[in-house]
Parts: sequence; structure tokens; C-alpha cells
Amino acid sequence: MQVRQYVLRRLLFLPLVVLGVSIIVFALTRFSGSPVAIYQHPDMSQEQIAELQSRYHLDDPVPVQYLFWLKGAVSGDLGWSGVSVAPVVDVIPNKLAATMELAICAGLVAVLLGVALGTIAGARKDRAADHFVRLFAISGASVPIFWFGLLLLIPLYVEWGVFPIGRSSPEFFERIGHPTGMYTIDALLNLDLRAFLDAVWHLTLPAITLGFATTAIIARMMRSSMVEEVTEDYVDAARAKGLPERLVIRRHARRNALMPTVTVIGLSFGFLLQGTVAVELIFRWPGLGQWVTSAITAGDQATIMAYVLVTSLIFLLVNLLVDVAYAYLDRRVVLGG
Amino acid sequence: MSGAKTSTRPRLASARLGMPRPPQLPALKARLQRGRELSGEVLRNPLTLAGCLVIAAFLLMAALAPILTTPNTPDAYQMPRDWQAIDAPPGSPGHLLGTTSTGGDVLYGIIWGARKSLQLSVMVVGIAVLIGVIVGSLAGFVGGRLDEILMRTVDVFLAIPELIFALAIAAALGTSFTNIILALAVVFWVKYARIIRGQIIHVKQNEYVEAARAIGDSRLRIYLKDVLPNSITPVTVQATLDMGSVVLIGATLSFIGLAESGLTEWGVLVATGQSDVIAGKWWVSTFAGLAIFLWALAFNLVGDGLRDVFDPKSQRR
Repeated sequence: MQVRQYVLRRLLFLPLVVLGVSIIVFALTRFSGSPVAIYQHPDMSQEQIAELQSRYHLDDPVPVQYLFWLKGAVSGDLGWSGVSVAPVVDVIPNKLAATMELAICAGLVAVLLGVALGTIAGARKDRAADHFVRLFAISGASVPIFWFGLLLLIPLYVEWGVFPIGRSSPEFFERIGHPTGMYTIDALLNLDLRAFLDAVWHLTLPAITLGFATTAIIARMMRSSMVEEVTEDYVDAARAKGLPERLVIRRHARRNALMPTVTVIGLSFGFLLQGTVAVELIFRWPGLGQWVTSAITAGDQATIMAYVLVTSLIFLLVNLLVDVAYAYLDRRVVLGG
Repeated sequence: MSGAKTSTRPRLASARLGMPRPPQLPALKARLQRGRELSGEVLRNPLTLAGCLVIAAFLLMAALAPILTTPNTPDAYQMPRDWQAIDAPPGSPGHLLGTTSTGGDVLYGIIWGARKSLQLSVMVVGIAVLIGVIVGSLAGFVGGRLDEILMRTVDVFLAIPELIFALAIAAALGTSFTNIILALAVVFWVKYARIIRGQIIHVKQNEYVEAARAIGDSRLRIYLKDVLPNSITPVTVQATLDMGSVVLIGATLSFIGLAESGLTEWGVLVATGQSDVIAGKWWVSTFAGLAIFLWALAFNLVGDGLRDVFDPKSQRR
């Protein structure tokens, strides 16, 4: 199948998957009963509550309710977020920017560090560096993210106060404009170096916490494909023609070992997204994760629904991008099979 | 009735077609020997052995919980309260790992938490494997339109990251540990359905399946005797790895607040200690989290070891 055809097919399939996700999540949220509680005031009479129910179609059968929700969703109305006291679609951009800033930073660090560690370990199989990376990789996949965050917080915030929690210091937040909602980029756009450093400083601990497990996953994958590549004939050939080992690894083995790692990077983005829930809670990072945990406590179904839809959509798009990138990188891949 | 009949017949149809028979050991003895060989091979790796020992320690802890500690509430799975011993640091008399801000003994919480983790992982993985194997088998063995429908459903389930999906389900069902179990089971079966479907499609093409079909075995019989037993190995590896990750994700959900508060569950315990961390009382969260980490690490080590033995391609990578 041609790459273009494949992308087109995946793009056509995407709305269907999102539709499926929305049906499952809608059914789930209605399973816990009518969401009217979040909209009603303690002083309301029974008649007023009944009127509220009928105004938002909450007295209709669930499938009909879903159709009303779908109609709204298509026209850009995802309901009212009780916890934010604002329409859901108005709240999402800011929260999304905060979460994406965190996830992208953690992801970048994880990819760079994971690939580097995996390359070193794979090229020095069964030596000390390899054992260290393997141990790191397997413990990284076993660490509860929220616990790891607390372990960093105890010395670095509680004891020594080296790092702050939250997203930025108030004076810097007020000093610059926020066109993108990602504070590091906003600071750069405002050409304000101190605000930029402040944003990075706030971002450091949450990003390390979030990226730790992902680094481990990528390092593990990179290591095993490096181990496979360095035994290939073309690597021997490169060595035989007198190329220094450093270049053999960098130009030949690593380049090919990267291929299988690319797919893992796509999948681990889902890992990063779900990790933000716990990380945002611990570091008081005002993103989607913190939003949804407060929505769960309050029983705010519109917010929960929007959260699952947005994160699934991002996850699907990232995986699509990765698959396409993979297909372009390696023309031997048979798509759609 | 049919069970008695089937047990005497050779496992591979090829044997009945006059092809070379496997060695004439009685089936049970041969299986036992093979099991011994495999477990010997698995345990030769020191990391796997370490994982097995940690798991054994946790199981022992769970089994002996009532002997190791005495509950002081009617429900043993509730953290004890002792107003005389609030916030005792580790090493205090009678409280080896310290106490919480309501005087709950941290060691007590970890020991009874081992039972909760065992319950969580066995139930979730059990239900998930059962559903996954049924759905995956139907898709892979029956094939055709049913396969298409089931796999597209699986795609939808896979479109939502695990923890986020479980979070949405648990939130809808309401705050309780049982609901966390249900939510995780709903999320985890998908992986098994995929694995078993792929395996079955692969195994189905083998000659011995062809042979069984040629001598007129029923489809159910072929599935049960030839296809399923030869497709199940990757499921056992995945199930071992999931025994760890289920507790990891389950603890995250209870940390967020989806389990009853005061429960002797490791995630709840970390959350209980979280507010005290700011005040310098580090021990509650640290020890409870360490338990989760060791549990997940042990199952990851054993799962990796199993994969090395069962899948020679990935060996010593």
C-alpha cells in the first residue's frame, strides 16, 4: 500500500474510533446516574430540578441523551465544567497547553536520554555500563510515578527548597503575555530570559518525574535493537574498512537501531499522558490531569468525558504521526497488513 | 465422558497418521519433566531468582498477615488507629516503620496491603485473561466478519491510554476498591485478545492442525487440543508482567482517591502520607511506595526471565 493511501485510510478511520470512544465513555458516565447534581443549587425546589433535567434532556433515554451530546460536540459544545465554572471548550486550551508543555518536555528528555543510554548499553553488551542500564530500565518500568515524585520532593523541595512546585512564580506570570499557554515558549516570545528560566525551573522536577519511566522503556528498546544491529554483517564491513568504532556505532548501527525504537516512542506518549495525572497532582501543575482528578471528586461528568476524549485524540494522532514517520523512514515496511 | 476419551489419545494428530511419534513417556510424567527443565532454566538467571524470592516473601507476608500483626478494628483491612502513637518515626518501640497522623502502624498497612495487592492482581489478570482468550480465540479461530468486528472493537479500547480509561470507568462506578478491580479488568483484557488472536492465526497454519482436520476432528476439538495449548505461552509471559503493572496502575488510582480512605492498600497509604511529607514526615509514603515498587519490580524480573526462556529470539538481549 502507498504511504499516502495508508495515511488517508487511517485518517478516515480516526473519527470512527473517536466516535467509539465517546460512546463507551458516555455510557460509562451515565452509568453513575444523572449528572444533574453538579448543576443544581442547594436551594432549588423539586420543580426547578425537574425543569433543569428537561432543559438538558437528562430525562430522556440514554441513547437520546447521547445524540444530543453528539450534536453539541459536533458544533463545538462539550457541556459545562462544574469544577471550572465555565464551558468545557473554554477551559481546555489552557489546561491542554500546561499538560502538553509538561509531556513534551518529559518526552524530549526521555527520547534523548533513552536513545543515548540504550546505544551505550547495546554497544557494550554484558559490560558494566550495560548492566547498569538494564537495571535502570527494569526499575524505571516498576516505579510508581507518584512515589518517585514524592521521593524527589522530600529533599529538593521540603528539605533544601532548591526547586519550587506549581507552574511559575506570580511576578513572572504577570510580567509576560501568554499567547500559547506554554510558559517557556511564552517567555521566549516575550524575549524575557528570567521568566524563561523561572518556567524551566518549575518544569524541571515534574518533567524528570514524568520522563523517568519513559526513558527506561526507550533505553530498553534501544538496547535490544542495538545488540541485534552490532552483530550484522554491514557493521563488520564498516569495521573492516577501517572506520573508527565511534563512527561505526554512530553512523551505521545506531541509525538502524533507531527504527524499532520509533514505534515505542509513539506508544510511550500514551504512557506520558496518563502519567501526567499523578505528576500534576503532586507538583500542583494546573493541567488536564489535575482538572480531571478534581472533576472525579466532584462528580463532574462533562469534564471527565471531555478529558478522556481529548487525551485519546492526542494519543491517536501521535501514534498516526509515528506510524507515518516510520513508513517514510523505512520504505520496506508493508502498511496496513 | 469425552474428557476420559480424549486423555488417552495422543496430543498431535500427526502421530495418528503414522508420522514419527513423540517418545513413549506417559504424558503426565513427560510434562512434569518438561516443567522441571523449564523452571530450572528460568531460575538459572540470578535476577529472575531474586524476583521469585521477593514474590515468595510477599506471598508469605499475605498468608501470615493475621499472625504477624493483630488488627485493632473490626475490619482488618482498615488502618488501625492509636491516638497514643501519632506520627511516630520509624524505629519507635512497637512501630518498626513508624505511624501515620492517625496512629496507624505503617508496617501493619504494608502487611495487610500485600493481601489487597494479591487480590487486585489475581482478580484483574484472571478476568482479563479469561475474556481476552475467549474474544481472541473467536476472532482468530472463527475469523471472517466476526474477526473484523471484534478487532475493530479492540482498536477502540486501545485508543484510550490504560490508566485514563480505568480512571474513567472507576470514576463512573464510584469510589471503591472493588470498582478499581472491575475497571482494570475491563481495560486489561484487550491486550490478551490481541496476543491470542495473533498466535492462533499463526498456529492454525501448522501441519498438525491440517492433519487433525484431515482425519475429521471437530473444530472445537482441534481448538482445544491442538491450537489453544500451542498459543498460550505468550499469554503467560504477559500475565506475569501484568501482575506487576496492575498493582502499579491500581495503586495510582487509589492514590488519586478512587479507593476507600483508610484502606490498607499501598496506594492509599502513599496518599495518606503525602500531606505529611511537606511537614517532614517522610516515612509513610516512602515505605508504602517502596512496597509497590518491589512488587512491580519482582514481577517484571520474573516476566522478563520467562520471556527469555520461552522466546529464544529475545534471549540475552
